[in-house]
Amino acid sequence: MLGKLKLRLPEGVQDYLPDECYNKREIEDTIRRFFYLSGYNEIETPIIEFFDVFAGVKPSIEQEQMFKLIDPEGRILVLRPDITMPIARVVGTKMANDPLPLRLFYLGNVYRYGNFQAGKQREVAQAGMELLGVSDPEADAEVVAMAIQLFLELGLKEFQIDIGQVEFFKGLIEEAGLVQEEVEEIRSLIDHKNMLALEMFLKKLPISEQIKDTLYRLPQLYGDSQILEDAMKISRNPKCRAALENIYQVYGILKDYGFDRFVTFDLGMVHSFNFYTGIIFRGITRELGYPICGGGRYDRLVSEFGRDLPATGFAVGIKRLLIALERQGKLKQVPGVDVLVVAQDGQRREAYHLMQRLKRQNMRVEMFLPVDSSITPLDYARQRCIPKVVEFKVNAEVIEYEIGIE
Amino acid sequence: MEQAIDILEAAGVDCRQLKEPSRKLFFFTPDRQIRMILVKPNDVPTYVEYGIADMGIVGKDTLLEEERLLYEMLDLKFGRCKLVVAGFPEKRDVWITHSHTRVATKYPNIARNYFLHKGKSVEIIKLNGSVELGPLTGLSDVIVDIVESGRTLKENGLVILEEICSVSARLVVNRVSLKMKNREIKALIDDIQRVVEERENGKVN
Repeated sequence: MLGKLKLRLPEGVQDYLPDECYNKREIEDTIRRFFYLSGYNEIETPIIEFFDVFAGVKPSIEQEQMFKLIDPEGRILVLRPDITMPIARVVGTKMANDPLPLRLFYLGNVYRYGNFQAGKQREVAQAGMELLGVSDPEADAEVVAMAIQLFLELGLKEFQIDIGQVEFFKGLIEEAGLVQEEVEEIRSLIDHKNMLALEMFLKKLPISEQIKDTLYRLPQLYGDSQILEDAMKISRNPKCRAALENIYQVYGILKDYGFDRFVTFDLGMVHSFNFYTGIIFRGITRELGYPICGGGRYDRLVSEFGRDLPATGFAVGIKRLLIALERQGKLKQVPGVDVLVVAQDGQRREAYHLMQRLKRQNMRVEMFLPVDSSITPLDYARQRCIPKVVEFKVNAEVIEYEIGIE
Repeated sequence: MEQAIDILEAAGVDCRQLKEPSRKLFFFTPDRQIRMILVKPNDVPTYVEYGIADMGIVGKDTLLEEERLLYEMLDLKFGRCKLVVAGFPEKRDVWITHSHTRVATKYPNIARNYFLHKGKSVEIIKLNGSVELGPLTGLSDVIVDIVESGRTLKENGLVILEEICSVSARLVVNRVSLKMKNREIKALIDDIQRVVEERENGKVN
């Protein structure tokens, strides 16, 4: 049965055909230019890494999700399921003496099995940025503002950045002194905004009524900045109050940037809380039922790689951007060729010189190579919507035709 | 389905179109503010996760089986039943120590997770209906299924061996829609919640 899969692709990966590939590249170019102009430097890490890089103290990616390989020495390699951890590895090792803050960005594919996202893609094109070395709210605000500014640059309409703070939830569970299984159950219920099951579960727990009440209200604490005031009223715990203060500070900076209209809050956003240590956020748009970007503060990760650094950043899914922009009518077809060049016998040299000149002027050119000898250059140009034909005749005459395209 | 329509109407959603006999898949409220689609129960979490539907009504059993990223916001308190492990009564003591148990079920994920959590290795046999036939025909040792009155089990000589959890209809909401269309969706959720609570109180009094 060798070769029966020859014409197929494995599940979860795709070919990007010219029109989609063109738009993908346009988006990536915009992102690259925007990050670069914002003072960030691009970094590239290998697609293959040791499994250990991603198997942290409290791993945020389950090992079932990773593509694994075995190297000749018998060690486990993975196709990177994430790019933040490789960057932490680089920053903790090869860039260990670089001055702070470090501003880095990347574009690349990550690989995961399972229900990584609604589209069930296993090869996911991402772009992201990391700001390392600054624990102040200014850094959190810079990262959120970068996400907002990026969406504006890309022409995305009707989007929102939903901000949470995992320390608020952590403050509550620390005060309650719950065991890990209980914490995970509560976290999952809050993350699903499952009020009823949360109420039932809390009822059984021997913790103070005040903490129960705050935990119970957590799934409802989402919306505009009013919810921060509501949360402040019910929080006595210093860690919770500090978390709220932190959101207020970040919000204040975003206001200064004129970005507060893009921002909403959700204190019940408690995913990946083993990984994050402060502000977290997601970018959403009306066109897509799942987030297009996500990020937040992760102050403990880099120390696992030998350099104790506060850090924050975000990543955006390129395919999700493509879908959202397409639904907003923002994608383009690949632009056509500008000039078709025809070289009759003995005229190749002149024709080729012209093509070189035109390319230097940023024009797309194509040499006439008819597959079907009966087709004329003008018909070919009409079929392909090429507006101009230059023909180098045998007698060294050069004729230009303008093609009318409706 | 009738109960879902009933609750929606009590919450002020005009479902007249839904009740007319037809083969349509799309229905609108007369003011065209809400579009409704009828899909198979298993597909409800999918439509809502992708944001094709902002909200959905679906049984907790399906939610547990599908494990989708959704907000599960209300228990609508109808369609109540239990997810159980059932089998022949004489196996009640034996099958627990049986080293290899075959489990017939419409809920392979739930069954796998349940037995995994208990540290028991099982062979899951996916069936699409009449799961009770599993033990009766010898296809499986036990079944994992939902039980309402227990009559079907009893008629087939089966008993509940273990209860996994209670099940009822739930209101699920897409994660992005709740935020991007918060005003409309929140109002509807509040109305539905009011109806559910009124009915619950009515039952108690």
